[in-house]
Amino acid sequence: MPLTLYVATPSVLHRLHPVTKLGLLVAFIVASFMVDRPLLLLPLAATVGGLLVVAGGLPNVRRLRVMFLLVFFFTLFVWTLFYQSVLVPTYAGFLFGLSTAIRLATFLAAGILFLSTTRVEEVAYALGRLGLPYTIGFTLTLAFRLVPVFFDAALSVVQAQRCRGLEFGRGGVVARLRRFVPIIVPVLIGALRRADRMAMALELRGFNSGRPRTTYLRARAGPADALAGTLAFATAAVYVGLWAAGIGTLTAHP
Amino acid sequence: MSGSAAAIAVRDLGCTYAGAARPALDGVTCEVPAGALAVVMGATGAGKSTLARCLTRLVPCFLPAELRGEIRLLGQAIDGARVGELAGTIGMVFQDFEAQLFSTDVTQEMVFALEHTGVAPASIPERVTRALGAVGLAGFEGRDPTTLSGGEKQRLAIAGLLALRPPIMVLDEPTTDLDPTGRAEVFDVLGRLRAERLSLLVIEHDTAAAAEADLLVLLRDGRILASGPPAALLADVEACAAAGVRPPDVSRVFAALGLPSPPLDVVAAADQLRARGFVPVAPVELPPPAPPGPALIAVRGLGHRYPDGRRALAGVNLTIGRGEFVALAGPNGSGKTTLAKHLNGLLAPTEGRVTLDGRDVADLPLETLAQRVGYVFQDPDHQLFAATVADEVAFGPRNLGLAAAEVEARVTEALAAVELHERDADPFLLDKGARQRLAVASILALRPDVLILDEPTTGLDFQEQQRMLGLLDRLHAAGRTIIIITHTPWVIAEHARRVVLLQGGQLRYDGALRPFFADERLAAEAAFRPPEVTHLGRLLGCTPLTVAELVTWLGRGA
Repeated sequence: MPLTLYVATPSVLHRLHPVTKLGLLVAFIVASFMVDRPLLLLPLAATVGGLLVVAGGLPNVRRLRVMFLLVFFFTLFVWTLFYQSVLVPTYAGFLFGLSTAIRLATFLAAGILFLSTTRVEEVAYALGRLGLPYTIGFTLTLAFRLVPVFFDAALSVVQAQRCRGLEFGRGGVVARLRRFVPIIVPVLIGALRRADRMAMALELRGFNSGRPRTTYLRARAGPADALAGTLAFATAAVYVGLWAAGIGTLTAHP
Repeated sequence: MSGSAAAIAVRDLGCTYAGAARPALDGVTCEVPAGALAVVMGATGAGKSTLARCLTRLVPCFLPAELRGEIRLLGQAIDGARVGELAGTIGMVFQDFEAQLFSTDVTQEMVFALEHTGVAPASIPERVTRALGAVGLAGFEGRDPTTLSGGEKQRLAIAGLLALRPPIMVLDEPTTDLDPTGRAEVFDVLGRLRAERLSLLVIEHDTAAAAEADLLVLLRDGRILASGPPAALLADVEACAAAGVRPPDVSRVFAALGLPSPPLDVVAAADQLRARGFVPVAPVELPPPAPPGPALIAVRGLGHRYPDGRRALAGVNLTIGRGEFVALAGPNGSGKTTLAKHLNGLLAPTEGRVTLDGRDVADLPLETLAQRVGYVFQDPDHQLFAATVADEVAFGPRNLGLAAAEVEARVTEALAAVELHERDADPFLLDKGARQRLAVASILALRPDVLILDEPTTGLDFQEQQRMLGLLDRLHAAGRTIIIITHTPWVIAEHARRVVLLQGGQLRYDGALRPFFADERLAAEAAFRPPEVTHLGRLLGCTPLTVAELVTWLGRGA
């Protein structure tokens, strides 16, 4: 089971500089919080959706469709019934719910767009370029690499203990919690042992070699980055402008 | 650094780990000439890994220890160096390939060492391409390491170091966790590195790998027991046994027949035996296989699809009788473990059914299944958690809600069966063989009729393997049904009574051992090699399963 959203088939978006991709993500999120009117949010949602198509990220959206639908309709439903009232549907509530639902869906889609086109190493690299210390970025990368390994080990442990008659669903809270000990101990000890070996393997590969580190991958930004960066900036600027002019808020235009 | 210096020169090396009573290495002196392949063998605790770790400075940099003596790599003393400083000089990979990969993409993995040792970005692409090509992973650049097979992961770990172009590589049991295909891949890489004149030091349990070496070093209790050309050492059955190494079958056959200097090559051995007039006389009528007892487990039309749609098993039919000893064989990914996990309800069939004594396994409650079909996982560390050995074994019986006296009786019985006597010892401080036996004991305490063991001999040295297999033989003799998943041909030949071969999720063979090992086409297709003695026998016109058999048959003919 793939645990990451990265789409291996490269697209124009994949080839953008990691910092540009991070910039696009931030621009879309900022823009989506600037206005409340559903009509004004739609172009933004459409842009993100279009880019998802370009990036080949639609299968990821399909994978997470339940989450999308849940978030969208739950938000719409709750705000419609509870906006300035309790359990009474209002038109204002419906509008606000709709805008919040679109905003959250856009927000999610922008995140998926980012993760579909950006490897965790690129995220670390982008954060590094923005001043985050290398070790923090590297730890992030390592964590991503270890998630599936950890997951597999935990699955084995659960099965191994089931074979010894361990059942989870019985007894009171304390008894249930106690039953996690036979799961957590082997998983943790296994992780510690592996971490030990990993530390050795890291140094064998020259981590801490005492020589200055070089950077090989994607250090250069191209014309596409200039274009994407401009678009990101323009999008955020337009939406901030709408907000500053008071155009985007619902109360001004009921 | 002179051109004639040995790649590795170790003089009077001693190593005592912090807090240890006795030295892990004591007075070790050896030399690996440039471009040579040295293989180090020995029992667990002989000091093999310690030697490798001293060469790369993991000892004492990571594992505090007191070192004596001198180590020179390419003529340069390395004392005082940090591990990372030696990265371009000596590379090292080890058994756990998962712990040696850090990236989510093959190129990133390859670039890692280069970036960290300050290699100029301009020369990186060529180095990556060359190193990936050297391990046969050209074209894998964009792959996610989690999607690779074990053999591919281990080769990627090797390539990640090769990119630094170290003149020396150390490989500490690189193939222990791999299936025969993965092993062959890694050995193939070793051959290529040798052709490129890298100096190699390999720690291995398998004598077949040692036969290829320029130099074989046998370690015992931290000292060199013997060292020299492998032909001489591997011929010495007693020296091998003393070092805790399984002697090659050919050497054992020659020793039993009183013949000198056995060759390392099976074909050459067959020629010599023929030339000396040895003609095997196999009994005309082989003893008929014991009829299977009453059906205990019945698998009918079993199919399994993973949630992602991948088909793991299809149309498997299998009946296992009470008291059988069955080996499940097949390459990794062939469905062995998936099949075994259906037998005790860890996995539910997506097609077909599995019954135990006529009742559908899917309908049996967990406690019943745990007491009927025991399953010992491959890695004992996936289940050990208690503070003492006795508590570990008591965990299962306590889950069943048994009375304290009964729990105690079962703990005593199970520990006696596996010959573990340190009831109060901490399970995590036991060695691998003892942990493996403890895992078996913790299942035995549930008194299951059927015992399934997933690769019970993997990662154990020869003595521990013998001990584990002896335990299984005893349990089998006492009436238990034993099912083992294994890649090791001699384990099947010497202990199982029936073999079930899976390939691509389907049953390829189910039946007696002799016809199985005699079928060369099947073996080739399933990437399976018969034991050396069987191969030797086949060349002479018979199909022995054990050295003793062949020796008897040859003795009769001579």
